[in-house]
Amino acid sequence: MLALLLPGLAVIGMFTFYPIIKMFVMSFFDWNIGYNQTSEFVGLENYAAVFSDATAGVAVANTFYYMLLTVPLQMVIGLLVALLINGIKRLSVTFRLLYYLPVITSWVVVALLFRNIFSNQGLLNYLLTDVLHVTNDPIGWLSTRWPALTATGLLGIWKGIGWNMVIFLAALQAIPSEYYEAASIDGLNRTQQFFRITLPNIKGTILFALVMLVIGAFNTYTPIMVMTGGNPAHQTEVVLTWLYYQTFSVTGKMGYAAALSFFVTAIISVLAVLLFKVFSPQQEERKAR
Amino acid sequence: MKRHAGYKLLVVLLAAVMVFSMTGCAKETASPSAEASESSSLPESQPVQETAAAEPVTIEFWHNYSESDGQIAVLDELISKFEAENPGIKVEPVYMEWSALHDGVVAGATTGTLPDVLRGDIAFVPQFGDLDVLVDMGALPGYSDVAGGVLESANSTAYMNGSYYGIAANTNTKILYYNKTMLDAAKLSVPTTQEEMWKTAEALSGNGVYGFVEAWTGWWNVGPYIWSNGGDVLSADYSTATGYVNGEVAVATIQKLADLYAAKVLTGPTMDPGAVGDTDGWAAGTYAMEVDGPWRGTALDSAGIEYGAVTLPAGAAGSTSVLGGEDFMMFTSSSDAEKEAAWKFIQFMVGEEAQVAMSKVGQMPVNLAALKNDEALKAMPLLPVYVEALKTAKARPVIPEWSEIENIIATKVTEAITGVKKVQAAMDEAAEEINTVLAR
Repeated sequence: MLALLLPGLAVIGMFTFYPIIKMFVMSFFDWNIGYNQTSEFVGLENYAAVFSDATAGVAVANTFYYMLLTVPLQMVIGLLVALLINGIKRLSVTFRLLYYLPVITSWVVVALLFRNIFSNQGLLNYLLTDVLHVTNDPIGWLSTRWPALTATGLLGIWKGIGWNMVIFLAALQAIPSEYYEAASIDGLNRTQQFFRITLPNIKGTILFALVMLVIGAFNTYTPIMVMTGGNPAHQTEVVLTWLYYQTFSVTGKMGYAAALSFFVTAIISVLAVLLFKVFSPQQEERKAR
Repeated sequence: MKRHAGYKLLVVLLAAVMVFSMTGCAKETASPSAEASESSSLPESQPVQETAAAEPVTIEFWHNYSESDGQIAVLDELISKFEAENPGIKVEPVYMEWSALHDGVVAGATTGTLPDVLRGDIAFVPQFGDLDVLVDMGALPGYSDVAGGVLESANSTAYMNGSYYGIAANTNTKILYYNKTMLDAAKLSVPTTQEEMWKTAEALSGNGVYGFVEAWTGWWNVGPYIWSNGGDVLSADYSTATGYVNGEVAVATIQKLADLYAAKVLTGPTMDPGAVGDTDGWAAGTYAMEVDGPWRGTALDSAGIEYGAVTLPAGAAGSTSVLGGEDFMMFTSSSDAEKEAAWKFIQFMVGEEAQVAMSKVGQMPVNLAALKNDEALKAMPLLPVYVEALKTAKARPVIPEWSEIENIIATKVTEAITGVKKVQAAMDEAAEEINTVLAR
């Protein structure tokens, strides 16, 4: 048995566990990457640098904003679409495909499209100034921190709805129809059925989607990189774009970047544990017993 | 039982990881001794070496000559000519775009997987020098003779720690490009002073047109204006930024840029991510003026824009533009035979013939004879303007910390121009951050 597992384990060990451990070690060094250079052990200095770095703070705050904006909206809209598709008999495959299309399109391509919608001479400003005549001055959607982050968040939501729809649709179809039949005999209306039967039965799926989306939100990179590049003056930077900037755009602060990634891992872990604590279906079962 | 198996698995996994990490360490420590044994065995294997010398030496050449401008086609011709003249040497060109070139060397520095010759941004010299991978080319036989035939200001970009870690490949500086149609329509004359330049930009702005575009906010962009007004970025001995980057001249110059930004006369994608890029903006008639290098002319030609160009309009202290361009570099990871071949190839590439050939596809020569060559002058109508500008152009500090310093400047200048912070406050912060970097 073990022999059969070994090749897979070796690959995971080499490409997942080894890099993680190596990076953890790097986070305690002023890491020089030259092949004939030595690296100096600096203890917790890199972690101190992360905590005293104002831009890292901005990046973490921006990531949280992106998460709080995209995760709930993606899930709510995704669930709504799943409910609608679950309720229709004809064309359900067509609608599923249509809603899933954004998921399989390239991030770079759609980020460029969104950039062209929200830029100063973009589609939205064209509509507002030349078609609807709401304003004469184009609005700088991407020019300042919060509007720019909101625009990238809209892209995240638009692109994420399809994934949520598929996940929730699978969960909805797994609920036995007898539950609903019994409920309607007992006189529950549609809304009551949704809150008393549908939601409790997909709680596990909600937890799964929530954890995946929170991790996904912390991993966001492409929309920011393409739509603002972290500009102006690093005010729209998120964690990963800032990490990339520190590693490659400046002089290769590998140790700092390693420390920052472990800091982010810590945040994600805490969030995941909290979510499990709040939503865990096992706990409910235990309570019920 | 099942649980037990899970633990076993974990133990095996951890053991595997440890073995991997140990082999990683072992390799690192083993390499110097391996090198030593190689070199010690060399004298005994004299006949082997002779046969090796008879075999052709292949050198890898990383570059970012542009395909669309036809530079790669010219490079291929030059390489076959060089190979015909030097039968023992084969050159393998590898194209990479700017960031891939940079990241490729940074990543290759960990393993020694590096080219034999690289032609890249002058800013790479101090950066790669800091990785300890560059050959001290100043110590190569005949370097001073070759460098003597090259534009001195351009070659100053390779001078670091008392020697030359590269040689100029081609040079450029920035001059003022203006949309001739727009200037004529507004009946404006071509500005000759910085003040006039800003006034002209103001006059051209409005109705969706920005008089002036700046692609970035680093010293590359704001430096020429500050130098021309008598300011500077660092003290002459590179020990401090206080009183320079946050000095009176620098702050007043950046304040002017901030006023222009607020008045929608000046814009650019790093100040405003919603702004259209400079090349697209010129083509669309959104931007009227830009201080930029020779590639701007190429882009404007292909966009069909009627334009003119003059040397950087003078400030209070004259006209001082910034040096750009590329240098050739060699790497310590190459063998002696490869280094010898690489140096031969570089000498060929900075020779008059190769430099004139490259001038026809937009590369401004550094070779003194090529700068006066009739064919080159015909190929680059703006060459006299550039040669004039190059007389007073300055190189940015050639220190390993420079790219970090320039990034600090870019961030703080953006904060100042977009009004996030007061100009003096932003530049004081810049000086403080730069001093921290310099003190390391």
